[in-house]
Amino acid sequence: MRTMLLRTLFVLYVLLALFSGPLHAAPAPDLEDRTREIASELRCVVCQNLSIADSPSEMAQQMRAVVREQLEAGKSPQEIKDFFVSKYGEWVLLKPKTSGVSLLLWVLPYLALVVGVIAALWIIRRWVSKKKSAEAAASAATSHSPVDSAWLKQDLPDPDLEDNSARAQLLRDRARLKYELSEMEFDFQSGKLSDADYNALKQEIETKGMAVHQKLDALPPEPTLKAPKRKSPDQKLPPDRTRIRRWQLVSGGVFLMLFGLALGVMLTKSVRPRESSNDTMTGDFLTGTNSPSGETRAALNEGKQAFAHQEFPKAIEAFKKVLVADPNNPEAHSYMGFILVQAGHGDGALMAFDKALAQAPNFPMALWGKGMILYREKKDFAGAREIFENLLSRVPAGEERNEIAKVLAEIPTAGAQKSQTASAAPNSAATSSSAQISGKITIEPKLKAGVDSNASLFIIARPAGAAAGPPLAVKKFDKPTFPLNYSLGQENVMMQGTPFTGKINITVRLDKDGNPTTRGPGDMTGEYKMNPVNVGTKNADIVIDQMMQ
Amino acid sequence: MPWRRLATIAFIIGPILALLAFGFTRDARYITSPLIAKPATPFTITLFDGRKLTLEDMRGKAVFLNFWASWCPPCRAEAKDLEAAWQKLKGNNMIFLGVALQDTDQNALEFLKEFNVTYPNGKDESGNIAVDYGTWGIPESFFIDPQGRITYKHVGGIRVALVVTKLEEAAKGIVSAQEGKGDYQPIR
Repeated sequence: MRTMLLRTLFVLYVLLALFSGPLHAAPAPDLEDRTREIASELRCVVCQNLSIADSPSEMAQQMRAVVREQLEAGKSPQEIKDFFVSKYGEWVLLKPKTSGVSLLLWVLPYLALVVGVIAALWIIRRWVSKKKSAEAAASAATSHSPVDSAWLKQDLPDPDLEDNSARAQLLRDRARLKYELSEMEFDFQSGKLSDADYNALKQEIETKGMAVHQKLDALPPEPTLKAPKRKSPDQKLPPDRTRIRRWQLVSGGVFLMLFGLALGVMLTKSVRPRESSNDTMTGDFLTGTNSPSGETRAALNEGKQAFAHQEFPKAIEAFKKVLVADPNNPEAHSYMGFILVQAGHGDGALMAFDKALAQAPNFPMALWGKGMILYREKKDFAGAREIFENLLSRVPAGEERNEIAKVLAEIPTAGAQKSQTASAAPNSAATSSSAQISGKITIEPKLKAGVDSNASLFIIARPAGAAAGPPLAVKKFDKPTFPLNYSLGQENVMMQGTPFTGKINITVRLDKDGNPTTRGPGDMTGEYKMNPVNVGTKNADIVIDQMMQ
Repeated sequence: MPWRRLATIAFIIGPILALLAFGFTRDARYITSPLIAKPATPFTITLFDGRKLTLEDMRGKAVFLNFWASWCPPCRAEAKDLEAAWQKLKGNNMIFLGVALQDTDQNALEFLKEFNVTYPNGKDESGNIAVDYGTWGIPESFFIDPQGRITYKHVGGIRVALVVTKLEEAAKGIVSAQEGKGDYQPIR
């Protein structure tokens, strides 16, 4: 393989030499190998953990060319690596240097390994020796002085506090020794005492205990047995070791659980799969950059799909879900804006786009939406032009950019605005009269009393035969007064480009909350009695005669 | 005592967790430049109008050196700002130089025309200038003082105010140890 490569390189070289003239100096036969060797030790600056020898990027090619040039110029591999370090820092070396601070990177893993092995051995040894000594202590306790230890551990009634007799004094000594014994045993179990110390101390306590025992035996029998007095509440009790140990175990467990939770939360929040080649796997939790959670992303995708299929109520639900989880999501706000545009809520859409732009001032979707509203609906040509110019400067060459440029070219300039509007008016009137449906909307007298003064009226056009799905066109009137003359035409279609032609069913709804996607009690409806109607019909009068319960 | 044991464990785990947390706050792509306060590497560039320009030609002036490409959205976003800064600063013993990277002549020229860029621009054909300045993201801007020393580096889009401030500082030889950061994308 390598011979073949060298042969190919040689042929290439001969061809190059033939075509480039006799002054071309012959490269060293192993130049490519040496280049590759050095390149394999240098990190590609635009990739993730790839050497410039392995990376196909343009930058890596340029860096390889620099390596080759410097080798040809007679520089040593170390000089070439030093050159790249001087430009990019030691980061550029795939193998860190074995000197200075970088030495730590080489030493620390081995050091950690050695420390870990020593610690593990030490812990295992301690466990084993503790077990052995516990067994030894247990056997010693049973063989050596069973009476003394057992006697000291017995629960005897405490003497009265005011009792200063010799017996009471000896009983107090016994209680103290009992406490010392239990403390010492606990220290031994927790590894604070060596076997030798433990045995010596235990023997000492037992000797003292035996002396107390003997003295107590030597005393004359107690004349009367006093009933044990109730302990005063402020009297200090020797600590209950079992309870403490249990409590410590519980707190240790809680600590471990919290630690696990914290680690789990941190990892899941701060690491995520890369979504594109430009994405990073870290970022949203500790770095403060936003990244929607999996659920939010799923809702966003669901909304987008529903929007693409014109299932607007479903899309609204999905985007609402996104906005509940992430109220500042510019994409969801933008889509809501587009839905509102199609439902005839220009102002609401403008608000949605502004919300998106408040979070991401250069969000292309929102810029596009806002620009279109300013241009088409608000006739704010200067504002629309400014937005489209901004958008145009941000979008790289391509179809989208051409589309923006086309719209920008359509927008009348400030001077031409008036004349164009004036000249366009008769034109649009001429085209509209034949491509519109018009008529009068009235309300049945018996329903007049129930009309909400803040209600909005929607005139909805659907193609004949389509009872559900998105309307073909919608027109909205806020706070309408009846009778109301209306006209519905191409300018009211929801999807741009859809022709307003053919047979159409016209219905109206007086909506209390002004939301076209929700219906509720108190909303009133009506329809053109001769539905479907042909586009061009002029007297399609409608009576609102139904009240929704 | 168990408390001591817990403290020991926390003492060992705490720094490891802190290190982990610190690692998450870092941008893995970001390469801190070792070039700040160092002499700028000399270069020769052929401008789009055919003239040749060297760094030596600009000695004695504060230089704003900007690496860009027509295919890079953050470069498009900053283009107007750079021209506005140039209009404000030109004639004050300051010079701007744009260096197009990994681009075609046609696209680069269209970009310059689109944004009415009037300061000198050329193309880094071999990519050697980019390597000499340790570039890895785009756009990247270097501020060079009249003595030819790099005083500030900014990775990503930059605004008029910052260009003006940092170039005025460069003119006075003031070095900023901290690099600036804006929207950027890795070069190809």
